[in-house]
Amino acid sequence: MLSFLRRNQVLFSAFLSVLVSLYIIAPAAKGQHRSDPIGPLLIAVMRPLQSGIQASVIGIREFFMNYAALRGVATENDRLKTRVRELEGEKSRLLEEEATNKRLRELMEFRSEWAPKSMTASVIANSASAYFHSLIIDKGKNDGVERGMAVISALGVVGQVVAVTSRNAKVLLVTDPHSGVDAMDQRSRGRGIVSGSLENGPVMKYVKRSEDLKEGDRLVTSGLDGVFPKGLMIGTISKVNKKSVGLFQYIEVSLAVDPERVEEVLVVRGVPPEIKD
Amino acid sequence: MKVSLLFLAVGFVLVLLQTTLLHLVPFGPFVPDLALVLCVYLGLNHPTVGAVIGTFMLGYSVDVFSSPVLGLNAFALSLVFITAYLSSRAIWVHSPLLSASVVFLASWVKGASLMLVWATFLTMDRYGFGTVKYILIDALLAAVLAPALFALLNRGQNYLERVRMPEEME
Repeated sequence: MLSFLRRNQVLFSAFLSVLVSLYIIAPAAKGQHRSDPIGPLLIAVMRPLQSGIQASVIGIREFFMNYAALRGVATENDRLKTRVRELEGEKSRLLEEEATNKRLRELMEFRSEWAPKSMTASVIANSASAYFHSLIIDKGKNDGVERGMAVISALGVVGQVVAVTSRNAKVLLVTDPHSGVDAMDQRSRGRGIVSGSLENGPVMKYVKRSEDLKEGDRLVTSGLDGVFPKGLMIGTISKVNKKSVGLFQYIEVSLAVDPERVEEVLVVRGVPPEIKD
Repeated sequence: MKVSLLFLAVGFVLVLLQTTLLHLVPFGPFVPDLALVLCVYLGLNHPTVGAVIGTFMLGYSVDVFSSPVLGLNAFALSLVFITAYLSSRAIWVHSPLLSASVVFLASWVKGASLMLVWATFLTMDRYGFGTVKYILIDALLAAVLAPALFALLNRGQNYLERVRMPEEME
């Protein structure tokens, strides 16, 4: 018996590691969160290296961009692209404010509630797997970051904090299949959940067939998920497909922000009082 | 011991690369899965209890930096290790084409096991042709890089074993 075990010790230990993995996964299946004693240590060890590499990459990228700037064209092009994106974001914000004002909502007060409670953070690492879309940022518990906080950029929604260590936080991006942002169509006010998918990129789920959503419509956060402030740009609808059967429409979304490319983000500290109520 | 340390260091570097530099490769959401290639190599060429623990730790590290649920990659890579280990009893991987093929199949094992856990425990979403296409691209990327990484690992392992042999003879 002992020799049999010894002969197959690799196989037994491999099966044991499969069982241990399932034991670690199990709480998530019940919607619970297991504390992770090893993760923070690993992130702490990796952090200086990742920050260094990320800084080098940005430095090299900027060097080449500056070199190109000598030729003038690229800089002008980038400036105009940035300006267009800013104007797109601005237009979206203004449209949303106008729509909300019509419904006697106090969007400006809302914004002033959450803006001072936010902090900027830099991205130090990306996801290590194609099946998951996440970031590691350089702010953690010590800076006031908590699990469940919203992460946004100047152009719109980026993701949500799912794990925090003392000096870092893991952000689940809106492009991840396990993410979900309560969204609404800015024009028709139709609601659904924007989430990533491995099938065709980001999609809007659970939109009733009766809702009038069209390609090109802007999608903004509804604020009803208690995570993201209302009116933040998510993206535009790139495809609407009302299948012959089923309760819901199939909607593909083109995101306003490419979360995989952001370098700095805004972490929103806490939910505005209106949403808490 | 030296060989195990080599693989530990390689695993650390690969996770570091996957979370930073490899994102510069313009493959959209795809990042070359070098951790998977290492697991397959360990299963084929260095099947020890230490390698099993290393594989688990590698998967766990990927989880720490990527997955919203801890244990998913640890589970998938452990299954990949078992597959590679069992296949090593039947086939001898001696050519780049074979190593690429084994990694390609192992990538499917990983993709399928992740989908299985997701579909069983974590989500109500269904997976269709788009998911299959996603796994296929991920598998192809890993398979293309496998021969080069296999050659490097093989060289490192052979070197350390050559260094060790004269010491043991003395």
